[in-house]
Amino acid sequence: MSGAQGSSRGAQRLGEVVDRNRTITFTFNGKKYKGLEGDTIISALTANGVKIVSRSWKYHRRRGVMSGNYHDPNCHFQVNDEPNVRGAHRRLEEGMVVSTQNVSPSLKFDIGAVNQKLSRFLTAGFYYKTFIKPERLWPTYEKVLQRFAGGGKVAATGHHVPADKRYAHPDVLVAGGGPSGMSAALSAADAGSNVLLVEEEYELGGFLRWGTADELAVAQSLREKVAAHPKITTLTNAVVAGRYDQNWVSVIERGLPVVMESLIKVRTATLVAAPGLIERPYVFEGNDLPGVMLSTAVLRLVNLYAVKPGERAVVFTGNDSGIAAAEALRGIGVDVVQVVDARHGGGLVRATSSRGVLSGVELSDGSKVLCDLLVVAAGWTAPTTLLNLSGNHPVFDEAGARFVPGPDLDDTVFATGGLVGDGTIDEILAHGAAVGRQASERATNGSVTTVAPAFSPDPHLPLFFGTTKGIVDFSEDVSSKDLLTAAHEGYNSVELLKRYTTATMGPAQGKLETINTVAVLASANGESIEETGTTVWRPPYVPITLGALAGRSYEPVRYSPMQAWHESHGGINIVAGQWMRPEHYGDAAKEVSTVRSGVGIIDVTPLGKFELKGTDVTKLLNLVYVNKWSKLEVGAVRYGVMCGEDGVIFDDGVTGHLSEDRYFMSTTSSGAAGVYAHLESWLQTGFPEWDVTITNVTSAYASINIAGPQSRELLSKLVSDVDLSNEAFPYMNLRTGTIAGVPGCHMWRIGFTGELSFEIHVPAGFGAYVWETLMEHGADFGITPFGLEAQRIMRLEKGHFIVGQDTDGVTQGFSAGIDWLIKLDKDDFIGKPELQWQHDSGAGFRLVGIHPNDPKQVPTEASQIVIDGIIQGRITSSRFSPTLNRSICLGLVVPALAVAGTVVPIRLPNGTIIQGTVMEHHASYDHEGAKLRG
Amino acid sequence: MILIPCPNCGPRNSSEFTYEGENKERPNAATVTKAQWRNYLYLKNNPLGWTTETWYHSSGCKKFLVAERHTMTNEIRSTKALGQQGGAS
Amino acid sequence: MSRNKPVKYSALGLFKRGLSGKEWPRVWRDVDLKKTYDVVIIGAGVHGLSTAYYLAKNHGVKNVAVVDRAYVGGGGSGRNTAILRSNYLTPEGVRFYDRSVDLYRHLAADLNFNVMFAPRGHLTLAHNDGALRTMRWRAEVNKVQGIDSEVIGPEEIKKLVPYMDVSDDTRYPILGALYHPPGGIIRHDAVNWGYARAADAMGVEIHQKTEVLGINTAGGKVTGVRTNRGDVSAPIVINCTAGWATLIADMAGVKLPIITHPLQAAVTEPVQMFLSSVVVSGSLHVYVSQTDRGELVFGASTDPYAAYSMRSSLEFTEELAGHVLELMPSISKMRVLRQWSGLCDITPDFSPIMGFTEVEGFLVDVGWGTYGFKAGPASGEAMAQLAATNKTPEIISAFDLARFEEGRLASERGAAAVGH
Ligand SMILES: Cc1cc2nc3c(=O)[nH]c(=O)nc-3n(C[C@H](O)[C@H](O)[C@H](O)COP(=O)(O)OP(=O)(O)OC[C@H]3O[C@@H](n4cnc5c(N)ncnc54)[C@H](O)[C@@H]3O)c2cc1C
Ligand SMILES: [Zn+2]
Repeated sequence: MSGAQGSSRGAQRLGEVVDRNRTITFTFNGKKYKGLEGDTIISALTANGVKIVSRSWKYHRRRGVMSGNYHDPNCHFQVNDEPNVRGAHRRLEEGMVVSTQNVSPSLKFDIGAVNQKLSRFLTAGFYYKTFIKPERLWPTYEKVLQRFAGGGKVAATGHHVPADKRYAHPDVLVAGGGPSGMSAALSAADAGSNVLLVEEEYELGGFLRWGTADELAVAQSLREKVAAHPKITTLTNAVVAGRYDQNWVSVIERGLPVVMESLIKVRTATLVAAPGLIERPYVFEGNDLPGVMLSTAVLRLVNLYAVKPGERAVVFTGNDSGIAAAEALRGIGVDVVQVVDARHGGGLVRATSSRGVLSGVELSDGSKVLCDLLVVAAGWTAPTTLLNLSGNHPVFDEAGARFVPGPDLDDTVFATGGLVGDGTIDEILAHGAAVGRQASERATNGSVTTVAPAFSPDPHLPLFFGTTKGIVDFSEDVSSKDLLTAAHEGYNSVELLKRYTTATMGPAQGKLETINTVAVLASANGESIEETGTTVWRPPYVPITLGALAGRSYEPVRYSPMQAWHESHGGINIVAGQWMRPEHYGDAAKEVSTVRSGVGIIDVTPLGKFELKGTDVTKLLNLVYVNKWSKLEVGAVRYGVMCGEDGVIFDDGVTGHLSEDRYFMSTTSSGAAGVYAHLESWLQTGFPEWDVTITNVTSAYASINIAGPQSRELLSKLVSDVDLSNEAFPYMNLRTGTIAGVPGCHMWRIGFTGELSFEIHVPAGFGAYVWETLMEHGADFGITPFGLEAQRIMRLEKGHFIVGQDTDGVTQGFSAGIDWLIKLDKDDFIGKPELQWQHDSGAGFRLVGIHPNDPKQVPTEASQIVIDGIIQGRITSSRFSPTLNRSICLGLVVPALAVAGTVVPIRLPNGTIIQGTVMEHHASYDHEGAKLRG
Repeated sequence: MILIPCPNCGPRNSSEFTYEGENKERPNAATVTKAQWRNYLYLKNNPLGWTTETWYHSSGCKKFLVAERHTMTNEIRSTKALGQQGGAS
Repeated sequence: MSRNKPVKYSALGLFKRGLSGKEWPRVWRDVDLKKTYDVVIIGAGVHGLSTAYYLAKNHGVKNVAVVDRAYVGGGGSGRNTAILRSNYLTPEGVRFYDRSVDLYRHLAADLNFNVMFAPRGHLTLAHNDGALRTMRWRAEVNKVQGIDSEVIGPEEIKKLVPYMDVSDDTRYPILGALYHPPGGIIRHDAVNWGYARAADAMGVEIHQKTEVLGINTAGGKVTGVRTNRGDVSAPIVINCTAGWATLIADMAGVKLPIITHPLQAAVTEPVQMFLSSVVVSGSLHVYVSQTDRGELVFGASTDPYAAYSMRSSLEFTEELAGHVLELMPSISKMRVLRQWSGLCDITPDFSPIMGFTEVEGFLVDVGWGTYGFKAGPASGEAMAQLAATNKTPEIISAFDLARFEEGRLASERGAAAVGH
């Protein structure tokens, strides 16, 4: 392994987080290594002297630790079956299998590295300018480009272990558990608010954790206070990932047992953003060599993990963080050969390499210094993401050389800590405390009286890029040269530049690279950074697994109370909207013939069922149905069709008159929810003065249709309090009575199949019992249960259309063959004007019965009727009818073809044309309805 | 997730509601012209700014309500119940 | 008139400039806004830019300004998921989108800009028999018009998408799919830039950061526009502003049957290629494709309420993740990297509105909803012809504004109800 030597773990550090007594074994690219408990993958690799940890995306340049935090673009690994693991954040686990992504064949020898040699030709956006001709070769070029796709691998099989989500409703949510965040949490909690404190790292403390003894002591005392406070809930290794409208906030908890991450959805009264600062890289030649690290990466490695990141260090700094890093390095025994302080005129020209790793630096005074570690401290980026997502526009702070929150902050969102300014620990704590109090005030009584002390960035040198060119976006391999070229070409606004070069589009989403991108662009345009402006930060703050976002599926399936019976009696399920129901019990054709000759029962529980009560129900019915309802006697039922205001059919069903002011409405299964909302909408928004109450009783009743010539005989065995004779209980009537000892059952003499039939609605709890009793008593008649398929065949034989199958999104009333039903002489009803106009114009397709001339041919549903190359209609339903022993269809055709006897060409999916004849009736079976009325 | 203050239920996530859109007066069906009717069917103001619209608390009290919402910020500055009490509860 | 001397893009050119270090010329010029143009096009999205391009190329109308208040492709054209297909439901739609896909096929060569059209195949899954019937319906309509489109079963789907769970014990079993081999994805920005560059080279002016604040009319005719950079007069003004279309039309006193709904999208971190087809599930309201960079790009249906806000929502990612894992459960450890949102101009019949309005010279090319990127070339070609000849080309005659009042809707509800 390149650069691997013995352990470079130094002496005990004060803030060390590793447990030296617990060793963990893991492999990296197949080789075994040892680390300590508490190590991250990166600290362990560094401790083992591994310097080159990855290859870059485009040029396959060798890369080492750079920012040393979660966002480090160089530290993405495949860990077991998980791609893109953040190695500078993820802790080691025993037996972890870690490997480099995106190399071939190996990290050491990576063939893609030839791209480095070609880099002058592969400038950003080069692919837009080439591979243009010949067109047919682009797919081949594309395959080659795809080989450079970054990232790890996902397996083709494997299951999604549902990670349960939860909700939280704190008064104050604090994002970031550094000193300002802890201070804000404590003061908000002291003011009486319930606080949720979320910290991305494994421990509270923020930058204090890699600080001095004093800083460590402050962190410890704050941690203790937070832990002891009853009103603060703390989550570590968790991150506030997004802020959405009205403080709807996503929090990701990581490192859970079994599932990797889970989502907490937080509605918080106020949000305090205290994410601290992110150190920004500095752009110069060689800035991506392994061995060039940001000062905070060094501070972490040394002070948290007691790891020596090198032997001979040069520090280039524009602030105190570089000085602190130098001190830490000396403390662990690294030879700090030179500190180049930009504040005192020091400058960095380039880093040089030997065997792909850093070997020295060239300074602006012309000197060259040998080193294997270059520490860079060029300044800070304030991660304003959460504020941005709250509608805030960051502004450039010239003095502090960074973008800071703008003045237009939402009044339920607050910011503190490094995001806002620099200061001593006391100043930070004071600001945090004041902001915490403000957040609590806003959360509880609404008005903010606390005044936060002034707090702003300290002056900082504008160190973005040096005199030589280097990498700006490490994850995308975009150099400052790429940016300058693109800007000069005309991609000269931040938005165009970012899209053209892909700078800031990679996994770090601009946290490390945006400011340098903007700075380079500003220089190309000869503008200030402020004029150039910054890009919009988009959620999430850090990437979230699909698994956490998905959680557990809450899309329930509905079953009738008889489902268990169906399943244990050979019922084969079909998904029907929300419902699962039997399609058939083995042989649909046989089910049909049994029903036609004897009796069968079907579970129709999914039908929508509503009880309508009140003195104005008929008004409602007259409004929503196209037909008339005023004269419906008690005990009678009627078929109705509902259209929308555009005259398009949207549901049909039967409604019965139970008693004086009670009605029972049934709708299609899939239309139930829509019809309910539709009725309520008209009642509440159109006619609030009407006295109608609607109760959805869809699942209060189990519904069974008993169909077949022997259905009356069967039902009479179980009913004694209702006279079922044709005279006493004719077709299109309903009665309420007792079935098999179950009182309160509705019995309707209707059916979709065309046979004598009774649709019964039984209190749901007795559904299974009544079903079984029917089956038992029906045994003598050779009863069969039948499923959806048999019903579909029989309804087609009978010529009943199905809304949504034989009609579509533009089928108006007069297209469906229900001219007899539509009563244009009614005062008003929904869709009436459109139906009137359709009636007058005769426009629109017409639904007709069609018999293929070859009775054996069943044209696939949706087969087109094409004449002279123009579509003139289509088959909407087709089946082989076991009753007629021939194929039968319904179809929508242009009016000219809707004449009985017309022969139409039907184009089958394979292109064959067959002939069909338009029939006089939709029904192919008993079109007079003698059977129904029997 | 915007928060909609239901006059019956208090503030609830918008995922509990069905959006019905801009309020629109239904023309008199007896006298309406095609142009007027299709204007009613298809034309909306679609403003950038405050709009008055109907929402249906479909996974809640099942009441329709009228809200004033800003189409840029999604801020809701008022909601009121529609019509009378009564109906399903 | 200053003209941008076009320099040909080619591998050889790249090589030469790589050696010499010579910079490429600007993609398009920055010029001052003139006082008068023959045509002013509002919106530098794919529709505005392609209209300008074809005006110059096919009709020699070059005194054209494309004005945009933001930047080239700053609207939907730079935010979409770049899916191209022509397997629509209405014969008019199929014919129109097919023309567009055809133009896209040769666009790279036409514009001398690699737009990376990858016809990787497009699958629309059906999870219930109703959806399967609709797929069959589309396939049959498509075939009548000569479009490569067929319904395939789960085994074939599995061959095309090995990561797909086609077992039948899932909540939403996959019963089949509409397979459309010519469908695919393209690099949207490249299309926008390519059109802008090629139009500019012919003399068309592109004016970014130029916001239209008003439309000037006199006697029922358009006379020009008011912008933040001054008034501009023109006898023809074309509204190509998609999500903002009604705001612009309102300025001319024209009412459009359009509601603006946000549509969101998201992208994951890259992983090695494993998905070549574009996969759409209407019932699950999700679609997904993998870019050449290895990222999965997701889309879904529009946000449930009208808005001009382009802020993202959490529930969008929650739902899409849940649904995509129904389809491909093994990818649950992939991470969503970024989400964004754009505005869609939704019409009542999910078909566009192209053509004349009651204000003479004020033309519209709007109503592109969730599906308009793929239409860019064909609509640009047709709108250019319409503007140049003052006659509606046959290919867009079904999509006129008058159809709503006249009750001639071109309903694509069945094919376009889910985003893209
Ligand atoms: C997330 C998402 C995914 C999508 N996926 C697909 C897909 O896969 N396939 C597909 O075919 N379609 C897709 N679409 C739809 C497609 O993006 C749009 O239909 C298409 O881009 C519209 O192009 P356009 O040129 O008409 O408008 P836009 O590209 O939106 O351009 C309109 C322009 O008008 C400008 N403008 C607005 N107001 C003014 C003013 N007052 N003055 C000056 N300029 C103004 C805007 O700045 C904008 O640049 C998607 C859309 C979104 C949002
Ligand atoms: Zn409510």
